Amino acid sequence: MKSILTVFLSLLLLQVSAGAQESPFFITYTHHMEEPGNLDLEVSTTNGITRSGQNAYIAPYVELEYGVTARWTSELYLEGQSTSGDSSVFTGWRWENRYKVLGREHWINPVLYLEYENLNEASRIQKEIEGGGPDLVSPNALLTPTHDHELEGKLILSSDYRDWNISENFTLAKNFSQSEGVEFGYAFGVSRPLATLASAHDCRLCRENFVLGAELYGGLGSTLDFGVHNTAHYFAPVISWALSDNSTLRLSPGFGLAHETNPVLLRFGYTYEFQGFAGRVAKLFGRRP
Amino acid sequence: MSKIGVGSVLAAFLAASSFAQNPHYQPDLEWRPPTQSQTRENPLAARPELAAGGRKLFVRNCAECHGRDGAGLEKKHSADLQLAVVQQESDGALFWKITNGNAKRGMPSFSKIPELQRWQIVLYVRTLKARAESGSGAKSQPPIAAFQSAAALTSCFLISTPIRIP
Repeated sequence: MKSILTVFLSLLLLQVSAGAQESPFFITYTHHMEEPGNLDLEVSTTNGITRSGQNAYIAPYVELEYGVTARWTSELYLEGQSTSGDSSVFTGWRWENRYKVLGREHWINPVLYLEYENLNEASRIQKEIEGGGPDLVSPNALLTPTHDHELEGKLILSSDYRDWNISENFTLAKNFSQSEGVEFGYAFGVSRPLATLASAHDCRLCRENFVLGAELYGGLGSTLDFGVHNTAHYFAPVISWALSDNSTLRLSPGFGLAHETNPVLLRFGYTYEFQGFAGRVAKLFGRRP
Repeated sequence: MSKIGVGSVLAAFLAASSFAQNPHYQPDLEWRPPTQSQTRENPLAARPELAAGGRKLFVRNCAECHGRDGAGLEKKHSADLQLAVVQQESDGALFWKITNGNAKRGMPSFSKIPELQRWQIVLYVRTLKARAESGSGAKSQPPIAAFQSAAALTSCFLISTPIRIP
């Protein structure tokens, strides 16, 4: 534990040059892609503060985000879950790809998103809410044997207007392991940096290092039962803080808006960016990036 | 080979390398901003002191490819921002290029950086020209052309590097 803490603090204090103006959102995607050749390592948790009779849980996940090209970003997720009074389990992996359709900036910038998920029913990171949301009641022993192979698509629409980012995501997901029809979900997000001018000196607590925003996300049922009835919805303020030039801390308390939700979902995320990762690997093999 | 021949080869090499430029860089002539973007003026033009903040942003976001001095030596297609072909661009054109990027050349869009900060980067890019001029002289042409003219001056026929003028 001590060594993990040492590594974490070392990463926090490293001052390697990189651009770490990360989006503050946990759920909503914007049209801003990872820079080509850069690798982001992100460690996040979704913490569910539950209703009486339910067990609180922590669902950590690790995300590797790589900029394949200027318009194509690929991500791999590994996730787990630990429920108090129950057990800790590995809940599966996801592989997602985002492709920015238009090469230049427009009023509305569309991005296409495709993800394959190989999860079990105990997954609770809730990277998106689709259909009616996850099962928050059943014990892990009952949920983990059920595996889901799911294909998920998103249409991401995102605009930058006067330093505000306004993004809308529309999700559809097909679980090939269950007869659930096609499920739907949505996410909307708005964010803005606290300051729009950069100061001359390096500072960590300057307003320019903070981005504030809010997200609204939830499920819209499925082709078998479309609508907001029996679905989960959250409203979540978000804040991101650029701790150093290459690391960002994000925090979001989400508030459940329906009976099917947790009253509060606390999300934390720490991102460390390895800038020029591809170039460094290329140099290892004697190639020019 | 005679001493004069060896001297010519060395002179040509030193003349070319003294530019310290990315020898692979060729300007993308198709990467042109629309006219209305080219004519946009920098709202921070009257505040040159903000270039210092632009430098910080440049080091964070741009130096990985363009180098801290903007010479573009870090990657194959990275532009040398000290070149006249870059410095002759209007502020609006530079802002448009930072905002939109050039996916074909691997340059990402930096629209995620707040607008005024992008203008700060433009202010800083302008200081690279001044540095180049106060150093070994303003760079007026892409490195391959510079290399070619240096080689021609010294009648160096021994150098067989493929040369293509943009």
